[in-house]
Amino acid sequence: MSTVPIEPLLHHSHLRHNSRIYRVTRGFVPCSLNLRSHFTCNKLHSIGSTVGPGMSLGFRSSKHRRSVAIRASSSDTAVVETSQSDDVVFKEKFPVQRIEKAEGKMYVRMKQVKEKNWQMSVGCSLPGKWILHWGVSYVGDTGSEWDQPPEDMRPPDSIAIKDYAIETPLKKLSEGDSFYEVTINLNLESSVAALNFVLKDEETGAWYQHKGRDFKVPLLADVPDDGNLIGAKKGFGALGKLSNILLKADEPGAKVQEKSKSSSDSTKERKGLEEFYEEMPISKHVSDDNSVSVTARKCPETSKNIVTVETDLPGDVTVHWGVCKNGSKKWEIPAEPYPEETILFKKKALRTRLQRKDDGNGSFGSFSLDGKLEGLCFVLKLNENTWLNNRGEDFYVPFSISSGLPVETETAQASGNTPEAKQEVIDTAVTDEIITEIRNLAIDISSHKNQKTKVKEVQENILQEIEKLAAEAYSIFRSTTPTFSEASVLEAEADEPEIKISSGTGSGFEILCQGFNWESHKSGRWYMELKEKADELASLGFTVLWLPPPTESVSPEGYMPKDLYNLNSRYGTIDELKDTVRRFHDVGIKVLGDAVLNHRCAHFKNQNGVWNLFGGRLNWDDRAVVADDPHFQGRGNKSSGDNFHAAPNIDHSQDFVRKDIKEWLCWMREEIGYDGWRLDFVRGFWGGYVKDYVDASKPYFAVGEYWDSLSYTYGEMDYNQDAHRQRIVDWINATSGAAGAFDVTTKGILHVALQKCEYWRLSDPKGKPPGVVGYWPSRAVTFIENHDTGSTQGHWRFPGGKEMQGYAYILTHPGTPAVFFDHIFSDYRSEIASLLSLRNRKKLHCRSEVKIDKVERDVYAAIIDEKVAMKIGPGHYEPPSESKNWSLVVEGRDYKVWETS
Amino acid sequence: MEVSVIGNPQARICRAELAYRELGFRFGSQVISPDWRNRVSFLSQSSKWKEIGIRCSPRSVKCGAIVSGEVPFLKSTPKSRSLESVKLFVGLPLDTVSDCNNVNHLKAITAGLKALKLLGVQGIELPIFWGVVEKESAGKYDWSGYLAVAEIVKKVGLKLHASLSFHGSKNPDIGLPDWVAKIGEAEAGIYFTDRYGKQYKDCLSFAVDDVPVLDGKTPMEVYGGFCESFKSAFSDYMGNTITGITLGLGPDGELKYPSHQHDAKTSGAGEFQCYDKHMLSALKQYAESTGNPLWGLGGPHDAPAYDQQPHSSSFFSDGGSWEFQYGDFFLSWYSSILTSHADRVLSVASSAFSGTGVSLCGKLPLLHQWNKLRSQPSELTAGFYSSNGQDRYEGIAEIFAKNSCRMIIPGMDLSDEHQAPESLSSPESLLAHIKTSCKKQGVVVAGQNSSAPVPGGFERIVENLKDESAGIDLFTYQRMGALFFSPEHFHAFTVFVRNLSQFELSSDDQAAEDETKTVGIGSGTGAASLQAA
Repeated sequence: MSTVPIEPLLHHSHLRHNSRIYRVTRGFVPCSLNLRSHFTCNKLHSIGSTVGPGMSLGFRSSKHRRSVAIRASSSDTAVVETSQSDDVVFKEKFPVQRIEKAEGKMYVRMKQVKEKNWQMSVGCSLPGKWILHWGVSYVGDTGSEWDQPPEDMRPPDSIAIKDYAIETPLKKLSEGDSFYEVTINLNLESSVAALNFVLKDEETGAWYQHKGRDFKVPLLADVPDDGNLIGAKKGFGALGKLSNILLKADEPGAKVQEKSKSSSDSTKERKGLEEFYEEMPISKHVSDDNSVSVTARKCPETSKNIVTVETDLPGDVTVHWGVCKNGSKKWEIPAEPYPEETILFKKKALRTRLQRKDDGNGSFGSFSLDGKLEGLCFVLKLNENTWLNNRGEDFYVPFSISSGLPVETETAQASGNTPEAKQEVIDTAVTDEIITEIRNLAIDISSHKNQKTKVKEVQENILQEIEKLAAEAYSIFRSTTPTFSEASVLEAEADEPEIKISSGTGSGFEILCQGFNWESHKSGRWYMELKEKADELASLGFTVLWLPPPTESVSPEGYMPKDLYNLNSRYGTIDELKDTVRRFHDVGIKVLGDAVLNHRCAHFKNQNGVWNLFGGRLNWDDRAVVADDPHFQGRGNKSSGDNFHAAPNIDHSQDFVRKDIKEWLCWMREEIGYDGWRLDFVRGFWGGYVKDYVDASKPYFAVGEYWDSLSYTYGEMDYNQDAHRQRIVDWINATSGAAGAFDVTTKGILHVALQKCEYWRLSDPKGKPPGVVGYWPSRAVTFIENHDTGSTQGHWRFPGGKEMQGYAYILTHPGTPAVFFDHIFSDYRSEIASLLSLRNRKKLHCRSEVKIDKVERDVYAAIIDEKVAMKIGPGHYEPPSESKNWSLVVEGRDYKVWETS
Repeated sequence: MEVSVIGNPQARICRAELAYRELGFRFGSQVISPDWRNRVSFLSQSSKWKEIGIRCSPRSVKCGAIVSGEVPFLKSTPKSRSLESVKLFVGLPLDTVSDCNNVNHLKAITAGLKALKLLGVQGIELPIFWGVVEKESAGKYDWSGYLAVAEIVKKVGLKLHASLSFHGSKNPDIGLPDWVAKIGEAEAGIYFTDRYGKQYKDCLSFAVDDVPVLDGKTPMEVYGGFCESFKSAFSDYMGNTITGITLGLGPDGELKYPSHQHDAKTSGAGEFQCYDKHMLSALKQYAESTGNPLWGLGGPHDAPAYDQQPHSSSFFSDGGSWEFQYGDFFLSWYSSILTSHADRVLSVASSAFSGTGVSLCGKLPLLHQWNKLRSQPSELTAGFYSSNGQDRYEGIAEIFAKNSCRMIIPGMDLSDEHQAPESLSSPESLLAHIKTSCKKQGVVVAGQNSSAPVPGGFERIVENLKDESAGIDLFTYQRMGALFFSPEHFHAFTVFVRNLSQFELSSDDQAAEDETKTVGIGSGTGAASLQAA
């Protein structure tokens, strides 16, 4: 199944721009367009009245106020035609984006220009913004880490990435060239043993590796072969069958052309270096922009609604549709007759195949429907696996006045940002609808005949509720089931006393410190450096420290684990790690290990040359890899979550995998002394498995990273983020509350509230905090920054200069706050220290009660447990003085915190 | 006269007489209630399970005659069988209600029921134990625990199928009522007894059915009182939430002798359980009446012991006693007791529950072990036999038909390939056999799985349900519990449900049951499932 949403589910704020909401003059119902400009689309220009980017049109309202329920997103431009004729009830052109796989090839060439002057070139035939991300290994280097190449090897437009890599763009040497290319002059005088690189497409953010690893071009004979060598076949006798993980799996088209040249003219130490040329197929997903025009007319004679659908999508297009009655957007089946080529699908929807246009460009169809109906909902089906919808929602064609809600939504948003109006409307309509309709769509797909293969994916998307409930039932049953023979075999630990099963959520008074940033691996002795800070962190008031991922990893930061039992990493050795953990225990700080369970880098390739066989103590085979990422040819089940595409995703539904992971976690608990876990990318697998792991390893504290996008409308963050926090809560629920989760919702809302001075966002319609912390505070781990969002990566950085407002919020509010390392050792240190000390002194905890005292545009104020008051924002606030004596304890830029004396 | 129609919700029933005739023809549905003196039921194959109770004037008696004048149990098989018509039920744990009438794991059950509802499961089977309800003294019923469960089921919007169990269970440990056990201490003859004198205390002997051994009442009278009490206690649920009732017919609720006593794992074919006082005296009487008084002194002397292979001694071997006159004499008698027990219980129940709009069921065992032997010894020790090589199940099916009762056959998940070859077992062929017998007698078959998950079980169930000739439209999956909700199993179950039935976006039932309109399915994320920690 691939529903192709027109908006990516995960997006960072930079994707959202250029969108505005327009006020439209009377008589027009506003229609706002969310404009993005990822790809240019020329086709759209050809139709109707073209509107430039950043403009919007309204629908002319004839006799009735008309519902414009469609939010369309456009790639570059969007065209909305307003018809003057009265019988046209609705006319709209929706852009749709179709993802297509483009295939091309890349090559790696080694060439001798002169004696001792060798060049390596990498080229790629696919269009894109290609970057060669590369580094070198020096003689004597062990392991898979990179170093920066000598200066003279760097092409002029290279950029150094940290201290181990270079990024050089690929360019077309001339316009007519079919390849984008980069050439590196090799310095054979230096002690460079090999070149390592990956190819990166900046357009899509995709990384292209070789058999699951970096490409490695050996310049010496004794470069260890991990299976990813290029061009070494004859010279160094290592090259096997070629393959590339992101390329075609079995490499039918791979050509290896090697021109063997006498090696007598090479220098002695470079003996065996040969010219070679290798080509590999490469593919990328390119989006293709098409459009769908919909016109609805009321036929005055028959009072029927005639809807015509026209599209320039190539191939067979099927409209999967239903009609709406009675103000609901529930799909219903209309009375017959149906258009030609219509079949009834599972009593849920109708399917009509559109007729091909005579000129071959696209297809069209027309639907004649009863005049009493309120609207037509549809999605487009291109083939079994490709569906198109309208930005995650069904296309909706309203026929008449009655569906009022969406109109009000639009009006409310266009006519001013009063929070009250927004909250009512959005609450009832927008977010619910989006979710419902995505789900409806997914359900329709799931009920399709080939459902069996898709069940797992769909489960994760739609059936979270069911799973949550089942997980809950499971956990209670297993703890109370007395002696059912079959059950007791399965659940050996079922009869242990329940007290032992730690909730994984600590004492409630925890304060987390994230003990690293994206650069911490650089020194190679991070554990030792951190160890020295133990006393300091303890005296600041932290109770829990989160350490970086400890395992051997393909990337130096540790998030691409390979051998889980090898705990020597860029951060230090296993002994240093143990030492550090011991030190922190001595000062009373619990230590969390960063467990990356979603994916694991392979050690060996399978018979097709795909890297999906593991080595080390956990020598799993491809049954441990999920089946739905074709690049890794896993033989496991479909993933129970989202896929992380850079490495084989682990199939947690396999008993042996779970058994091994549980064993590993227990080993880490015992061997290293970890007290708990920070779980990486838990979107990748079902929360029920996390519960299993938590139950088995009995951590003192566990927190999962469930990071997906907040809801936006027209590029503006929605006030109501209930759907977003519900997804996080759903995950926590799937773990049966065994683990907490980072409160991404709170961070996101703080971003906008602080940046745009919209402090009203900080109270939800019920007067509670709008993040996860307002739903389930004891499981919310609040934070404002981490190694991904901030540090040197800056994927989603907290508004600069406003960090202290963020800390004034999370360090006074319920939930378990986490402070980022960079902030502790910055100018903010003393302010953070005062807030930490206040939190500990006043015994605020994860379930503290928060009473929001003031929410206005420019100020948010709250009283926590009746003993701490705080305000953030430039606006004025004083805590009510009648009942208590408040004394100001901390004050900084745009925030104040008081305590009762 | 009362007519209850279990029919298609779309059917407009304006006038009972008309509708009556219409339904009979239009749906061609299984008319399984020949008890037309006072009740006629229609069971259509609609996937919706709605009841419309109609009261007819006496004039409609004529119509009753019309229907019964047609071939009563002729079943019109739908041409293509869609699995959407199969109603799926899931069994609650046996210990749902504890013997002190508490609801065990209430929270888990509530969560589980919601999950099942969202998944599209139609109903829940609730095992109700005699030993829990009428625990302390005769005629004193305490339904509170079960009523609480029924209420939850109703709120969640599921249907309920009640299994009235007149047997006890070892695991969980639920015995017969205390007062019955007390009688049993003094009067050991009320229990099944094997030839070693070992009693089976989880079920009363079939021979005492009509003997006033329970404080002057016969077990049948007591069972009848139990049924009546159930009916009045659950009157609010009858016919709406409660759509079916299974009557316990013997050990483990199944119609059989406890031929293995407690240890079903032994390799043998089980032993005859005819050594209690009442059985022996009945045997003696029968022997005398058939002119073979010497045969009435005890059971077969050459039958193998529990742990012996069936063919290790002469009774069951080819050309053994079972094929001769004595064998026929004994086995006919032994099985007739079983058959008449079934008849008694089912008629007690069908008179108790007539007119309530619920369908009645009884469960048979699937005695597939050793059924590749000609003698099929497991079936013989359990009481299934027919003279002259006739169909052993047809007589039973006839009893079910007579009482307009569905037959539940378990073991629908078993396949031959997963049986140990040495057990000479073929669950598939036995199942097919029983289904054929039922079809001949017009008995509707309902399915169950065996109690523990088996490899390939779900696939096998689906195959069975797809089988057009059997027309199974009710399947009860056993049983909820830790194993059921374990990630591995629940995933497999979810897949199974999806294969079975369309995932209902919004079932018609839902309108009434707002509770289930929780997150997601068809209604948005409205209900944030909050947990105040």
